[in-house]
Amino acid sequence: MNIFFTAIAIFAVTYIIIISEKIHRTVIALTGAALMILLGVLNQEKAIEGVDFNTLGLLIGMMIIVGIAKDCGMFQYVALWASKIGKGKPIPIFIMLCAITALFSALLDNVTTVLLIVPVIFVVANNLKLNPKPFLIGGILLSNIGGTATLIGDPPNILIGSAAKLSFNEFLINLAPISVLVSIITIGLLYLIYRKGMVTNKEAQEAIMKFKPEEAISDKKLLVKSLIVIGIVLLGFFTHTITHLEAATIALSGAALLLLLTMNDPEKHLKEVEWTSIFFFVGLFIVVTGLEQVGAIRIAAEKLLQLTGGNMTITTLSILWGSAVFSAVVDNIPFVATMIPLIKDIGAISGLSLGPIWWALALGADIGGNATIVGASANVVVSGMAEKEGHKIGFIEYMKLAVPMTFVAMIICTAYVYVRYLR
Amino acid sequence: MNQKKYIVKDYMQKQVATISKNATFKEAVEKMIHTKTNGLVVVNGNNQVIGIISSWDLIQHIVPDYLEEDRHLASFESPDVFEKRIQEVQDNPITKFMTMKVLTVMATDSIMEASTLLSEFRIRQLPVVNDEKKLVGYINRTDIKRAVGEALGISFVF
Repeated sequence: MNIFFTAIAIFAVTYIIIISEKIHRTVIALTGAALMILLGVLNQEKAIEGVDFNTLGLLIGMMIIVGIAKDCGMFQYVALWASKIGKGKPIPIFIMLCAITALFSALLDNVTTVLLIVPVIFVVANNLKLNPKPFLIGGILLSNIGGTATLIGDPPNILIGSAAKLSFNEFLINLAPISVLVSIITIGLLYLIYRKGMVTNKEAQEAIMKFKPEEAISDKKLLVKSLIVIGIVLLGFFTHTITHLEAATIALSGAALLLLLTMNDPEKHLKEVEWTSIFFFVGLFIVVTGLEQVGAIRIAAEKLLQLTGGNMTITTLSILWGSAVFSAVVDNIPFVATMIPLIKDIGAISGLSLGPIWWALALGADIGGNATIVGASANVVVSGMAEKEGHKIGFIEYMKLAVPMTFVAMIICTAYVYVRYLR
Repeated sequence: MNQKKYIVKDYMQKQVATISKNATFKEAVEKMIHTKTNGLVVVNGNNQVIGIISSWDLIQHIVPDYLEEDRHLASFESPDVFEKRIQEVQDNPITKFMTMKVLTVMATDSIMEASTLLSEFRIRQLPVVNDEKKLVGYINRTDIKRAVGEALGISFVF
């Protein structure tokens, strides 16, 4: 019994400190992981078994590819091109930028997406002589919604896909339709809210029309190589069912190929991998494994099943909404990392079919993060960049808009999950 | 042949362009233009060195972070942003963007020591301070060059 409480205590303290943000999340996750071993909950072998190297490999592979590819300017090109397509008119530009954010976010992780799109937003808004805030808020919302669509769009999806052995195509088939639907409705609502302020003069429109998007492309050779590798990687993901190659194999092979093609200095690009995030995952995996080892997760799963009466609809929808509420307040990665073994136990105990439950978890965790300015990493990054430029997005100011928007999105998700899987 | 000692004191400039730590962006620009320098030593009320500010720091402060993040976007930026940014930052205190970690030398230090600091950190100038960290002079690359010239026996014709 001693070990049982030790594990729970380490887990609880680790998560409380992660939520409080008093200490860097990576440091505290690694400390928690070390304590799980040092205090005898796990031995080193068990701890390492708990680390999902497929998730880590996929993350690292994509980070290397995107880290090299983003230097060629293609993402900026597309965003600037979209502004031109909008004929320099604010509303079409706003809609195009939101849509492109969602699209990029489906292929890149959300933070990378906003780091690429926010500078473009500032430049376009300055040229249009408009307040960038609506564009920034649109960028936050759509990056999280777009990220829901694919296996690689948001880290919770990578975690779920790897643990539940769900392929890229399964994510696409099950989550892309709802991601597109929620994107369209969110953009529509944003249009209704902001359309009044979206007026500009002829001069500003002409400034946009003078854009030569091709000037944003800084390295054509790199662009071609990047597109080839991204194409091959996507093809690898699509054909998983035939080749049975794991996602990490595909992403890391793509990374190796791009390094080979560009003959770039690997040291620079490997340094650019977000190692703090990778080690955060490692720490979390071990902390959660400790909790699993002592049977605490199984007990939680039993309790949850008691509450829902083992009913499929109630269980799935509770997970959908529970995930959304949790992810609005806390980092969705530790939440999902804990829910994964719990859901597996639910499956083992009750025999419920887990498919819809995984989709509910992904939808809740990815979209729920939109509700507050601290709900997801992308939100925090955008608000930090906005504040530096004198466009601070207030906590309450953001919530007033984002909570109703997220609520609407979750209602749509509920209807989708119910109609598609539970009826 | 009697060995010449290359000591900071013999090559440093005693007139130093300084600015108070309470100054603003605009005042720093004014001072740099008037004193025709690209570097100012930031001092507190006791004449102690607390920072250094160069024209490079001023430029860096004008360029918004989002353009630094993505330099090829600069060609698309609206031209009025340059002036707007300057208006925005003109009253910012210099402590917000000055270099705080200042390397200094003492008047009694050797020129080799000063040169090593300039070379290792790729900087252009070093404030010279006394035991109480008070500013007594200033040595830059031109001053070192003079010492190099002397060592080579090159005569100076002005």
